[in-house]
Amino acid sequence: MNQLIGNNSSLFSNFIKNSIKAPSPKVQQNFMKVTAELAEVIKKICENEKLIFDVNYEGKKYWEIEKKHRFAFVDGGAYSSFLSSSAPFAIRANTYIVKPDELLEKRELFRETVKFVGNLYDPEKNLYDLDEDPYEDNQLLTKKKDAARITFETAAVARHVYENEKFEYLLLHGPLQTPIMPFSGPEFPLFKKEVIKYILPFFKKQEISDQDRHFINVYLNSIKYIKKAKFNIFGIVEKTGSTIYLRNLLYLAKRKGLIDEVSYNKTISLIKRYKINDASLFELILSDCQALKPLEVEKQIPSKAWGDWEEQMNNFPKVFIGYLRTNKHQSPIRIESLNNPKRLHKDYEYILATSKLLPNYGFPAGLDVIDKAARIHSWLGKAAKGYYQKYYLNLALKSKDPTTIISALKSISDGGRKFRNRPKAGRLAR
Amino acid sequence: MLSEKITEPWTSIGTILGQPVIDSYTFYLKKYKAKKGDIVAAEAKLPTGEGKVIDVIVWGRITEIMSSNDFLPNEATKELTEENINIQDTILPLTKNDSICVVTNLGYTKNQVGEKMILLPINYPVAPGGTIKYPAKKDLASLLNSEMNSKNPILIGNLVAREDINVFVSADNMVSRHVLVIGMTGSGKSVATRRLMRELMQKNYPILIIDPHGDYLGIVKQAKKLFPNHVIKLFYPKISAPANNKEVIFALIEKLGKKLTDPQFDFLNWLLDNIPYESGQSLTDYINILIQRANTAAANKRNKSTSGLNGIGNTGATTMGVVARSLRVVQSKLKQMEKDNRENMEKFPHLKFEELPDSYSQPENIITKSQVSILYLKGYQSLPSSTIVSILLENLFSHRSAGNKTIPPFFTIVEEAQNFIPSRTEGQDGYPSVETIKKISTEGRKFGVGLMIVTQRPYKLDETVCSQMNSYIILRLKNERDQRFVKNTMENWDDEVARQLPNFANGQGIVSGQITNLPLTVKIKFDADLVNSDLGDEDFINDVQNWKDSEKTSKKKGFYKKFEKIFQSDQRKPN
Repeated sequence: MNQLIGNNSSLFSNFIKNSIKAPSPKVQQNFMKVTAELAEVIKKICENEKLIFDVNYEGKKYWEIEKKHRFAFVDGGAYSSFLSSSAPFAIRANTYIVKPDELLEKRELFRETVKFVGNLYDPEKNLYDLDEDPYEDNQLLTKKKDAARITFETAAVARHVYENEKFEYLLLHGPLQTPIMPFSGPEFPLFKKEVIKYILPFFKKQEISDQDRHFINVYLNSIKYIKKAKFNIFGIVEKTGSTIYLRNLLYLAKRKGLIDEVSYNKTISLIKRYKINDASLFELILSDCQALKPLEVEKQIPSKAWGDWEEQMNNFPKVFIGYLRTNKHQSPIRIESLNNPKRLHKDYEYILATSKLLPNYGFPAGLDVIDKAARIHSWLGKAAKGYYQKYYLNLALKSKDPTTIISALKSISDGGRKFRNRPKAGRLAR
Repeated sequence: MLSEKITEPWTSIGTILGQPVIDSYTFYLKKYKAKKGDIVAAEAKLPTGEGKVIDVIVWGRITEIMSSNDFLPNEATKELTEENINIQDTILPLTKNDSICVVTNLGYTKNQVGEKMILLPINYPVAPGGTIKYPAKKDLASLLNSEMNSKNPILIGNLVAREDINVFVSADNMVSRHVLVIGMTGSGKSVATRRLMRELMQKNYPILIIDPHGDYLGIVKQAKKLFPNHVIKLFYPKISAPANNKEVIFALIEKLGKKLTDPQFDFLNWLLDNIPYESGQSLTDYINILIQRANTAAANKRNKSTSGLNGIGNTGATTMGVVARSLRVVQSKLKQMEKDNRENMEKFPHLKFEELPDSYSQPENIITKSQVSILYLKGYQSLPSSTIVSILLENLFSHRSAGNKTIPPFFTIVEEAQNFIPSRTEGQDGYPSVETIKKISTEGRKFGVGLMIVTQRPYKLDETVCSQMNSYIILRLKNERDQRFVKNTMENWDDEVARQLPNFANGQGIVSGQITNLPLTVKIKFDADLVNSDLGDEDFINDVQNWKDSEKTSKKKGFYKKFEKIFQSDQRKPN
């Protein structure tokens, strides 16, 4: 080993030596100490505010009683590929509806609730109105894809509300409200009218203005519609780097005089510097089957919105966010709702019971099911992409112009200059 | 493509998956639309030698079905088990089961269904994405029968996987090319043999049954009612030997008697050489003469007389005495077996047993058209049984091979065959029936002598005889050695067959070889009316519960108690 290290560069040698002998012990110990101490303080605040509560779990008994209800789980899936000549795009939001005590043939329904297949460069087959879309850089394309995904998932939930479904619970894989500041930039394209009418049927009865077709307004209208649902809707977030609960908790503590202004500011700063988030901290605070009562929080930050959107941001309803520890191994999951849960214990008991069905993963089993069902597999996307590429190459070949053909070949093989074309050295080819 | 000529619509049941190879492929099955063992059809294209591509139907059998539910993680089942939760009460999905079938190809036919569909070997794999169809009953039956290509098909049962499809076997190939029937006790061997026997009887084919346990007595009992136009004869054996084959007698004495030294063997040889044996003579009578002669020789030797001792001048009187004693042992054993056989026959007073005619001089009394001859051997040990069977079959075969039209072609069923053709590893290679049956198995086809070998212990059978069996009926087998034997013997064997063997229900098995040409998993038709109700199933618990001592035993027990009382009163007990 030493010989190997000796034969290599001094950077390599030093890097490994440093990692073995001195992996920044002070820094790491300090992180551990700060996190543990902060967890202790936050736990005391939570206890003081009576936010921590135990959630009952008796799997057998629970399901024997609750099997009579209808439950729904919603998730979306998308595929996109940005080529020079085309941007094939497919998106859907599926729902898994199950009434456990129903006869097998009626027990389960896997529904492709909303879907769209098209090309983000093609005005005819697009979600967005290209007239309103002056530039097409990749960053904007990614934003268009994200906006579509958020819209479709929300639209699927809205459709069930519109259809007056009799669910006991609907769980959405992901947040019920997403910060939409990134989409408030100038000239973000508008959805096509027919797309709006298709995915959000409650719009049909209204005259849709241009403003209504902007993602932010579509999203706001959808969320407001969902908020009126007669069944319980929760968004479940499994991985989170968010500090929203922590920040709101500290703010609450400050408001109630539990902590002073200086300590509040310092703690907020410390959280940022140490990259502490809700999930990592509450993992130290909550035990298995314990939860944090939801806090009402504002997800949108109007001051960060572009231009005229600041006022509209204020119209977004606040969200109720809580945390639930579903097993000993995983971080707590985040639970979001648009309304303050009236039957908090019962609601969290349901989420815990569905999560306990996956004892290692600790995430609602129905969302795992619909995640698999809604996902657009890469093999399907690659096949579709292949047909687009084949068509483009055929067009080039028909031109019989060598330059066009070479250019097309480069285009479909991911462009001209690529890192992987760098000359290799030092090793003989096998 | 198939719709033009098929008789009923074929249902689409799946789509071919992945990477098919020439011998097999997998397909995604519509839920519950087919089951293991089913024969399915794939539309395919195959290249011909002339550079053309033809449309064909590729036929295959579902050998495995794998079910999976990608939406049901293993960890969920763990929770259900640990918490004793019924999955049906939860939100976990039950309807997302996917079934993938593994199909072993049988061959292809041209793209039409009809009277003549001969399976040909496949030279190209089926294409992924192709449709799999479930053939209609009539068309599948037509394939099976065309494939068998027999003038005289006889019903054996139905496909296990499709009860609506009858399976026939070729009677022509059965009577000429030999069949091996294998299965553990209670697996349905007798069901299979009785079934085929009945069908052969319908064709008036002469049948000889070697029946060591009386499995076929039911047929005799029902003979008049079920087979009014047939003669069914029940024979008990008479141990005799052909005059020109004293080797058989020598073997019998050697095996049944005491172990002899070389000088004692020499003396036994001398006796056999010097005392003539008349063909058909009872062996016990002949042994009686041998004993008398041995005793006389010993007496002469003791009296120092040389009378009648030519060639054995050096043999001592003691040696001769030992041989005489050994012969008495043999005679005693034979008599005991005859007695046991007689007693067994007496259990069936309503059945008429006849002494087996001399197969050399009266073969037509054993083998004739529309006659079934059953040789009832119960009570006889293996070696005498082997001797009896050897002599009988040797004579009958010689009549057939002589071509003198004394007896017609016939079919022999050898039950408990391990007693008649034991393998050399069983240390019983001296059994005379081994060579006889070996000869029939290799030459019988030429002379119209067919064999059906029935056994529950195939690994104990003679390898040469087994290798001559061209068709197989393999029923349930649990013993690994038996399974290995079948694997080594049978063509078209694959591990899939091995997995099926221990799991067959009674009367289910694989029919393979020249009687069917296509290996088929069959439920053999049960002929309830041919079962011997006198034998019944073993019901020892019931026997004991209803047990009453015989009059003799009761008296014996009574006397025993009285004597015991006397003995207890005895004051003068010896030290």
